[in-house]
Amino acid sequence: MTTKHLMRFIAISCMLSCHLSGFACTWIETHNYYLFHVYDNERFRSRVDRISRDNWKVYLGSTEDYYYFNAKEVKDFARKKGDDLMLSYVNNLERYLQCAQDVVAESWDYPSKEDVAKRNRVINSILLYAQGKLTSRLRSQHGLLFMRCNMLLGKHSANITFWEQTASKYIESVYKEMMKNIYAGALYKTGQTGRAAQIFAEQGDWESLMTQFYLKRSYAAIRQEYLRDPNSAALPFLVQDFVNNTQEAVDEDGYGKLFVRDISTREAEQMVQFAGQVVKEGKTKTPALWMTARAWIEYLLGNPVQALAHIDEALKLDGTDWMKNCARVIRLYIHSSQYQVSSQFDTYIGTELAWMQQMSEQTCESFYENALDRIVHQHLAEKYAKAGRIETSLGLLAATHAYEYEYALDTLEVHSLLSFIDYFNNPSANVLDRYLKPRITFDSFNLDDLIGTKYLRLCQWDEAIPWLKKVPMSYYNSRGYAIYAARRKPDVEPWIKRQWLPMGAEYEYAEQHMTVNPKITFATDMRDREAQLATLKGRAYQQACYDLAVRYAQASFTGDCWFLMRDGKSECDEVRANETDLNAKTVDLLRRASQTTDMQLKERALFALSYAYLNPDRWFESEWNRNTSKYIIKPQSNTLQYNAFATLAAFEQTNSKGVSTYVSRCDEYIQFCKFYKK
Amino acid sequence: MGKIFLGLLLTLLMAGCNCCPDMQDENAVYYWRTEWRLDSLEQGFLDSYHIYKVYCRYFDVVIDGPDTEEPHPNATISFIDTVPTDLEIIPTVYITEACMHQPHEGIAEKLVKRIVQMNETHDVMGVTEIQIDCDYTLQSRQTYYDFLEEVRRVAALHQLRLSTTIRLHQLSMPAPPVDYGVLMIYNTGDPQKFEERNPILDLRDVQPYLRYLGDYPLPLAAAYPVYKWLRTIGGVHITHEVEADEILRVKGAVEEARDDLRHTILLYHLDANNIQRYDNKTFDAIYRH
Repeated sequence: MTTKHLMRFIAISCMLSCHLSGFACTWIETHNYYLFHVYDNERFRSRVDRISRDNWKVYLGSTEDYYYFNAKEVKDFARKKGDDLMLSYVNNLERYLQCAQDVVAESWDYPSKEDVAKRNRVINSILLYAQGKLTSRLRSQHGLLFMRCNMLLGKHSANITFWEQTASKYIESVYKEMMKNIYAGALYKTGQTGRAAQIFAEQGDWESLMTQFYLKRSYAAIRQEYLRDPNSAALPFLVQDFVNNTQEAVDEDGYGKLFVRDISTREAEQMVQFAGQVVKEGKTKTPALWMTARAWIEYLLGNPVQALAHIDEALKLDGTDWMKNCARVIRLYIHSSQYQVSSQFDTYIGTELAWMQQMSEQTCESFYENALDRIVHQHLAEKYAKAGRIETSLGLLAATHAYEYEYALDTLEVHSLLSFIDYFNNPSANVLDRYLKPRITFDSFNLDDLIGTKYLRLCQWDEAIPWLKKVPMSYYNSRGYAIYAARRKPDVEPWIKRQWLPMGAEYEYAEQHMTVNPKITFATDMRDREAQLATLKGRAYQQACYDLAVRYAQASFTGDCWFLMRDGKSECDEVRANETDLNAKTVDLLRRASQTTDMQLKERALFALSYAYLNPDRWFESEWNRNTSKYIIKPQSNTLQYNAFATLAAFEQTNSKGVSTYVSRCDEYIQFCKFYKK
Repeated sequence: MGKIFLGLLLTLLMAGCNCCPDMQDENAVYYWRTEWRLDSLEQGFLDSYHIYKVYCRYFDVVIDGPDTEEPHPNATISFIDTVPTDLEIIPTVYITEACMHQPHEGIAEKLVKRIVQMNETHDVMGVTEIQIDCDYTLQSRQTYYDFLEEVRRVAALHQLRLSTTIRLHQLSMPAPPVDYGVLMIYNTGDPQKFEERNPILDLRDVQPYLRYLGDYPLPLAAAYPVYKWLRTIGGVHITHEVEADEILRVKGAVEEARDDLRHTILLYHLDANNIQRYDNKTFDAIYRH
């Protein structure tokens, strides 16, 4: 089995386990991505790391794509070049890095007070060295080293003084940026949190900002920061965090939240009012930020009309590019929810989705892809499906690369699938089609197999066979389910023998070598048996019913030969749209078989009717008893399984041939009889 | 007559607490963070509930690779603030079960030495005891108990007592060689089955173990959870926290099964968020001293 096919198998298995929204233990993809995103995601840390590496590359003349700092290499180069200043700098940088590593090191030898004092002496000597080079050619590098040493020694006030009096006047460089970051850290450590936050935000040091505001994020904190400075650089961070927390609170779907803050409706409403007031006051340079936040919270709180008006207004206001783009995305989301499908709507959606695609490629940000996912899955796919535009709906799902696309294709009516293939092959009619068609793929499917299998699911054997005949055996041998298909037979009575694979076989991924298509074999056999059934009577008819029931039960999603109808299996499976309820057919045939006077066949049919997979409601319920720490069994005499067992038990009392071992050894039946006799 | 009375009194006192001669009526708390820094809320909580004993996680002991690797310390606490002198610190070390898959010579000595050094370096005064926390199993129990014997021997050289945590599933095994155990009455459920039971605490998960408590041959303290557990499973954010009523229900059942578990009570763990999670009434009902 190739990795690709294995993934497909797993994906389908997961997909099948995900579609039952009402089932308590299933995991559902909620598509609840954040839509409020107003600043660049490139973190301070990654930016300075990238530039520092580039600087070393330039110094060394290196052409490596990703340069890892190597002190020895730099020192050798500096020595060769006669660059004594660089040599001494790297020597001391190495010493500093060693000390910094020791501080966080985890060894069994914990440093004594003397060790700590010794380490501090080394740091002080580096500090003195760096201090002596602050007017040299490499003053920025030495300034950074000086501040780093102060930081390790906890001399935060010294760093504040140094930055304010000296380093802030240095030329712009990555070292200066790092010094400023240490300065902000020193401000934070000495309680000057407002100024620290301003710098962290300006630098995009979101980790430090989050550390600082982790437990203080709220409407009140935003208001306080705005009153301190209406254009505080920390405000976009705080507003984004608040809005996304609001979304988290609204989007909650029973799984709980990762976030610390539960935003209450009242607090969200206060924020809406406040955002309006900020825009009205005119003190902010980025009213688009506030108006977008207002519109999005209004929408989340269930006020789409106000949200529409305010998001349209937000697009006309000033803000950074990120803020304006965010407003445009949220506008698309709100419009998608509020307007009906029309040609005008198609043009708008097509234009906006194409723009988002372009932005996604330009920025390498996941934001636009995530927004597309949310917009499509929460609004557009359903809206177009309801408007009868199944092809557009499927195309939108395909554009998101989500499992729902494959699931939809898998469960689609045959004629709809054929229409979708036609849609894909025909020229595009409008902007939306032109956006969608390049995004539609059938990679995961062999369409002939899919169409044939859809006919199998409808028990239309003659229609299925020609499609299945087009599929090469190499396709089936490479499917994730091939290991099951090669080993299991649909003529084994599932209520008497389960066809388990040897332990661990499922995970071996061994290549299979089937030479006959199991689906065609099954379809041909079923076609012949059903045709023959109409010609039979009496004992032969009842036996034929039983034999057919066995095959239907095996091909069902609960059977061992589930691969005949589906690509994967999950305990959350159920009868899906556009497929026959094979278990219902099984029960019907077993009832007919059980009318026989042949005691052995009757026993088999009655036993089969009590099979758990044919009876979703079990014959008992269990209840935990806290006092005895045991489950109490409560028989449910109104369930089908109870009645099936009761019929079997009554039959066995009169069974002159004696109870068969497959019945007498059935633990479920034994348990039932204990209660039934009472 | 005086001697007879004194003897009778002592006998009565001993009889009154025959299974836990060492456990006192006191409140305590775990401190399970990587930085020692108490804020005013936490300090106020310690004062309000007369908590003078803090079981402070010093570091973890982990093993990275296969069993041939040597265990080493990890996530050592940093002492940002000075430890108040009116608090008794019980240095606590969490050692992963994987470290106990086979004996590792000298680890006990290294561990005690590191704790003692940490106390000295950071002026943590008045330490008289250390605690080891390990989720040992039937397979690792013997190695762990041998390790505890060695820790106890080395700790005694420094006049330190030894305690260990006891998880509910460990109650069915023989008792470890320590001075007393802290019964961890949390993490009782299967984290995989979070839809059915709260994995932090559920009386139904505690109930089957209550029968072991009465005869468990070791003095025991009881530790209850007040923490919140956040995790992400398959991209879905999951939050677990225990309702106050459930904690009190479990506490009632545990104390009914073994009366002396009402003496020394710990909370897991000291943190401003955890303190704010429950009201005073709940803490009053849990601590009671």
